[in-house]
Amino acid sequence: MNTTRRPTTFHLDEAEIIEAAPVPDDLVLLNDPAALPPVPVEPKSSGRWKLGRIFWSGLGILGSMALGLAVTHLIEDLYARADWLGWAGLAVAGVTAVAGMGFVAREMLAIRRLAAIDDLRNDATEVLRTDELAGAKRIAERLTGLYAAVPETARGRSAVTRHAADIFDGSDLLRLSEREILAPLDAAAARAVAQAAQRVSIVTAVAPRAFIDIAVVAGVSISLIRRIATIYGARPGTLGFFTLLRHVMSHLAVTGGMAAGESMIDQVVGHGLAARISAKLGEGVINGILTARVGLAAMAVCRPLPFDAVRAPTVRDVAGRLFERAEKKTDG
Amino acid sequence: MGIIGNIGHEARITARSLLDAASGMVEPSLRLGVTGLSRAGKTVFITSLVHALTVGARMPLFRAAGEGRIASARLAPQPDDAVPRFEIEKHLSAFTGAERHWPESTRRIAELRVVIDYQSQGFWGRQFGPSKLNLDIVDYPGEWLLDLGLMGKSFERWSSETVAQARIGARAAIAADWLEATAATDPGTRESEDVARRNAALFTSYLRSARDARHALSALPPGRFLMPGDLEGSPALTFAPLDVPADGTAPAGSIWALMGRRYDAYVQHVVRPFFRDHFARLDRQIVLVDALTALNAGPDAVMDLENALADVLTAFRHGGPSWLGVLRPRIDRLLFAATKADHLHHTSHDRLEAILAKLVERASVRAGAAGAMVDILALASVRATREGQVRRGGVEYPVIIGVPEAGEQAGDEIFDGEREMAFFPGDLPADPSQALAAGGFRGRLSGAEADMRFVNFRPPQIEPAPWGMRLPHIRLDRALEFLIGDALA
Repeated sequence: MNTTRRPTTFHLDEAEIIEAAPVPDDLVLLNDPAALPPVPVEPKSSGRWKLGRIFWSGLGILGSMALGLAVTHLIEDLYARADWLGWAGLAVAGVTAVAGMGFVAREMLAIRRLAAIDDLRNDATEVLRTDELAGAKRIAERLTGLYAAVPETARGRSAVTRHAADIFDGSDLLRLSEREILAPLDAAAARAVAQAAQRVSIVTAVAPRAFIDIAVVAGVSISLIRRIATIYGARPGTLGFFTLLRHVMSHLAVTGGMAAGESMIDQVVGHGLAARISAKLGEGVINGILTARVGLAAMAVCRPLPFDAVRAPTVRDVAGRLFERAEKKTDG
Repeated sequence: MGIIGNIGHEARITARSLLDAASGMVEPSLRLGVTGLSRAGKTVFITSLVHALTVGARMPLFRAAGEGRIASARLAPQPDDAVPRFEIEKHLSAFTGAERHWPESTRRIAELRVVIDYQSQGFWGRQFGPSKLNLDIVDYPGEWLLDLGLMGKSFERWSSETVAQARIGARAAIAADWLEATAATDPGTRESEDVARRNAALFTSYLRSARDARHALSALPPGRFLMPGDLEGSPALTFAPLDVPADGTAPAGSIWALMGRRYDAYVQHVVRPFFRDHFARLDRQIVLVDALTALNAGPDAVMDLENALADVLTAFRHGGPSWLGVLRPRIDRLLFAATKADHLHHTSHDRLEAILAKLVERASVRAGAAGAMVDILALASVRATREGQVRRGGVEYPVIIGVPEAGEQAGDEIFDGEREMAFFPGDLPADPSQALAAGGFRGRLSGAEADMRFVNFRPPQIEPAPWGMRLPHIRLDRALEFLIGDALA
């Protein structure tokens, strides 16, 4: 901070005053940065991964070269047979190429959206720690921009925009944005998870073969992840979906131990009776919990802000009804 | 006084608490203690808070309001019929009227009850539908608060402390006349009304001049000497400290015995009832601290403020909720707020909060250890300025823009109270302990050399709006959320 600034008075007509100017960052960071805990650094990708990347890129280039060559040959052959056939082939190839480029562009946009949400969440985590106001204002603007086309968030977005000038702490502004803008989306996502969990548990309970269970769990989980991503505005394409799937899986791997410790085991053991009386019913409950956990992991990964002002839903919140139902059935 | 007096004092508090608890079962109520020395901004805080609640102002961080769960909030007849009503309309029109001035200093005690109709979010709350919370707030002259520190002190101890304090630092010059008179008074001489009156008058004028803005000292009990209220001219106020040992005993018939008797009567009949009626049964407390005036005056004033606050806050009982709370309620949430945060650019608020944390360190650590929730923030009950940025000579100044009060002075310039100006009040010390160290920075007494200069602003021009006027504020909603948010959950 500049130590040479003395108390000074400015006349409004003489001084060059910018009102409500965007505050420069160095003025906002009043906390000594050295005193803050260090930011965890993501592990750098090792050489093996780079090697793999070169291999896959090489293979991809070779593949597209082969494809280009094959198409060129095909069209030449078509021309050799008849001119009109050649022209038709060329037209089809052109249309295919344009569609392909459109597809690639869409995929890239989808991946960019996912990356933007990840960025937003990382920045928000940082601002919650530093309480920096200017950063929080930028995040709130990005968030309202992200959901400008989502009608449920209209009230929340306008509330945040209206109040932004009255709030003086970064973390407060973020908590307000989370409460106002994300709450309706959270509710929709939690509902989607609950529905999926219920569907899985019912199908498992009545399905005659184990592989059908697996197929159903996999299918429902995939559509659930896609749905949650869409609710939070990510709309992943095909490639983006695989990125997302990887994130969800790694999130599950990180939180899996904890969840197994607190919710899975006690819930399942507590309902051991259900499982003993009807093995099929018990499996249904377990598969439902599994789906619910995938859904919650997807929420954590797709949500543009970390859970802070709003309590993160738990397995019990979204899958609690499964147990009640199982209990009723076994009692009856 | 003595043990009998103490037991009676405690017994009466317990009886009142039981009565409160009984009525609280029917209608839950919360007593909010707005604590602050004189000029800390209690009246403006209460006015702004009640106004914001009753008109449903913008308070995004006050969750119950932000979530739309407050159906209405209205003023209601207060529970204590013997206490005058807090004249919110008068105070409100003071700073929203054509004159636009801050309310005059409070001269007597006043009370207000706000009834909040809200809907709870919890499971039981939803079953029972709308609920009601009574919020009781008391306003009083801040000077009287200083008296709370006297409750545990004998006349001899108070005398020796006060005399010793008056002999050091900036006080020595202000207190010269009174110290001379005290030195000339032999505590052992026969009692004399004339001597008592003369000493009391000199003592009072010492307290008054120590309080004025130039010195801005705070630790100046007894408070009724500064703001007598209904005791104006009463013999209860004709006493003064004498130069006596802290553990001495007064010879019978001496002036010492007379002064001691009057001091005890003051504590017994003025201080204790005041505490018992208004502070002993608080549930929540906000301590408003005007750190800027003290910072303006210099490190001496800041240290003095710290002493005064520590002294006053020992009287309160803080702690987590417990079953014994029915007999003797404890304050379970304590908020320290640096008022007039609008006199600074928001980028300096962190430093102001750090200085306040340092100022109230003793009290907040004690309350925290007892189990109370403690928070610290910078607030402006009514925001009188807006912010801007000035670049001059290659230096960026974060400024505040507002209309300084007439007669305020900065450098050679005296303001007329009409013209808008932009101010950079100086950087607060990055290390809060510097603000409390002798010579840590230069205050007003250094004239143009001062490191900081805060001017007072007139209340803001408020746009009349067809749907009800709104007062701008800084963090009032956050303060409210901390203080009563959990009761409306």
